[in-house]
Amino acid sequence: MSGVRYEGIEKRFEAFTALHALNLDIPDRTFLALLGPSGCGKTTALRILAGLETPTAGKVIIGDRDVTRLQPRDRDVAMVFQSYALYPHMTIADNIGYPLRIRNVDAATRAKKIAEVAQALEIDPLLDRHPRQLSGGQRQRVALARAIVRDPAAFLMDEPLSNLDARLRLSMRGEIKRLCHRLGATTIYVTHDQAEALTMADLVAVMRQGELQQLAPPADVYERPANRFVALFVGNPPMNVLRAEVSEQGIHVAGATVPIDGARHQRCLASAITELGIRPEDIRLAAPGSPGALSGEVYVVEPMGNETLVDVRFGDERVTLRAAKGFTAAIGSTLGVAFDAADACFFDSSGSTKVHRARNGEAG
Amino acid sequence: MTDVVKRGTTMRRRERLQGAGMDLALPYLLLAPAVLIVLAVLVYPLWDGLRASLMFYRYGKPLDFVGLDNYIQLWTDPQFLNSLWVTVRFVFFSVALETILGLALALFCLREFYGIRILRTILIIPMVITPVVVAIVFRLIYASDAGMLTAFSEAMGGGQVQILGDPLKAFTGLVVLDVWEWTPLMFLILLAGLQSLPQEPFEAARVDGAGPWRTFVDHTLPMLRPVLAIAIVLRTIDAFGTFDQVFVLTRGGPGEATRLLPILGYEMAFKFQQTGYAAALFVTIGLIILAFALFAVRMLKRAGPDT
Ligand SMILES: Nc1ncnc2c1ncn2[C@@H]1O[C@H](COP(=O)(O)OP(=O)(O)OP(=O)(O)O)[C@@H](O)[C@H]1O
Ligand SMILES: [Mg+2]
Repeated sequence: MSGVRYEGIEKRFEAFTALHALNLDIPDRTFLALLGPSGCGKTTALRILAGLETPTAGKVIIGDRDVTRLQPRDRDVAMVFQSYALYPHMTIADNIGYPLRIRNVDAATRAKKIAEVAQALEIDPLLDRHPRQLSGGQRQRVALARAIVRDPAAFLMDEPLSNLDARLRLSMRGEIKRLCHRLGATTIYVTHDQAEALTMADLVAVMRQGELQQLAPPADVYERPANRFVALFVGNPPMNVLRAEVSEQGIHVAGATVPIDGARHQRCLASAITELGIRPEDIRLAAPGSPGALSGEVYVVEPMGNETLVDVRFGDERVTLRAAKGFTAAIGSTLGVAFDAADACFFDSSGSTKVHRARNGEAG
Repeated sequence: MTDVVKRGTTMRRRERLQGAGMDLALPYLLLAPAVLIVLAVLVYPLWDGLRASLMFYRYGKPLDFVGLDNYIQLWTDPQFLNSLWVTVRFVFFSVALETILGLALALFCLREFYGIRILRTILIIPMVITPVVVAIVFRLIYASDAGMLTAFSEAMGGGQVQILGDPLKAFTGLVVLDVWEWTPLMFLILLAGLQSLPQEPFEAARVDGAGPWRTFVDHTLPMLRPVLAIAIVLRTIDAFGTFDQVFVLTRGGPGEATRLLPILGYEMAFKFQQTGYAAALFVTIGLIILAFALFAVRMLKRAGPDT
């Protein structure tokens, strides 16, 4: 096991730059989630680490070796491909056992490991089939099995759960997390699902259009997003972003003035903030017209079972808040909401976070 | 107004034409010309050849119905047995060499590098040259008096090179000619096959730790097998019928060293006028090829991953 480092990795495909000077330092035994929207360069970053793609500039370090110019087989990594990349002419058992066969593991040990992994991923009844005879989700688990059957320096997983049904995804999420923890393996886990990133990772790297936005533990990414993009990408429902102005009286937002404590007030005044962000769980219902309350009309009410999501509209702006289960309100009726400025963060016009929330509130 | 009416009637007529009866008959009507042509140029000669193979001929006239005598005689005829053995050897060595060379070239040309397109094009040229011309060229190379090889040898201080006069060398020379001419076909088919293979499994194999040789044995060959098998079968069937090159290069000689079955059949029919016997020989060749093809297809199906 060993840490992984990207040093100024840049990747250009002809005129298009898929990665801009990516720097990532992933300590040994860390589970890193590489999170970002489709096309932001996650797969490219992973393929560069695997050695399937050569970076235009920069270095890749695994452990203390510079592997930038090494063949994939000399890097000792295991990869789960986004498109599975199973061996079509081999049975599932042979697929899973292939990395072991290459390493001349004897047949008995191989069979034992294959059975073990297959059972953990619930694909043991499929071992005699060929990939063609499997569903997408089953193939994906075979790809996962083929990676975890061995003991590499690092696991690279490219959206390994994207094709599973909701129940299986949840249980696999836990399984993978446990497994990586048990193996103590450095893992780079690519996903566009922020819930996966938050629940599984020790570190989350948020990317956008080939640029790293933030590298931090999940709680920090959630509580202290580096910018507006991260704030909106992480969390479901996403953070509410409202136009905000700061004056000596406090924060002016959606027709109300919200008081803010002295030190953060000063920083807001100093940094020309234009917007504030507030998580849905940090907004509460309040009597319309009470001091500091924003008054709007109900846009839609969505009961989720354990809670209720309420969308409230103020002119051309909207916020979502979490209300208790059983909450009802007529669409179009007037509703007051309030929040504590200590829970909000503030962005400047470029979208970067100038003032973070005051305390680490408890999510959810 | 009238337009609308007219359109209405044509539509009704078309509806009638498209009725159930027309639907049933149309495919047969469309197929009829093709079927008639096939019957005339393929089935009738085949049928006639089959009939001829059961007759005893003299001076090109059928004299007697002899049943399977021609076939029975064939299997005790040393000339036929020799030709069969020569043909099998010829087919085996030619096709094997063409497959190996074709595959090697295809693997080499799979990579992208500067000038690869021109190289691919050049490699295909032998295939598009008329076989007779190829044979004439090789005759010029092999000829013992003025051939290129002799010229070479003499320039190096050696003597004449006897190729077409020596049984083993003539046979080898024939195989070399065939390999030169048909490796490009193998190359082309296998290159297309290789290019159509999915790329991801190969990437997975690289990450899983397979080197070039393991990748070739474990993945390239198994995935390429259907294409490889079809190419080999096609080429084998074709090689069984090789005629022009031998006819120009050696006429089957020296002695019987390169007398492939088609050459023997040709001589039977046109030199010795044994039309019935020659017909039986060609029917036998056909049956051998058919048996081989059926066997190959069976093997392909059984060995394929679809089980
Ligand atoms: N071989 C290539 N040639 C040209 N452009 C490429 C190539 N591979 C990727 N790209 C581009 O690089 C960008 C990043 O691609 P990448 O596959 O890394 O995205 P991703 O983050 O994995 O997206 P997704 O979540 O959809 O899988 C995309 O805009 C893509 O179009
Ligand atoms: Mg991807």
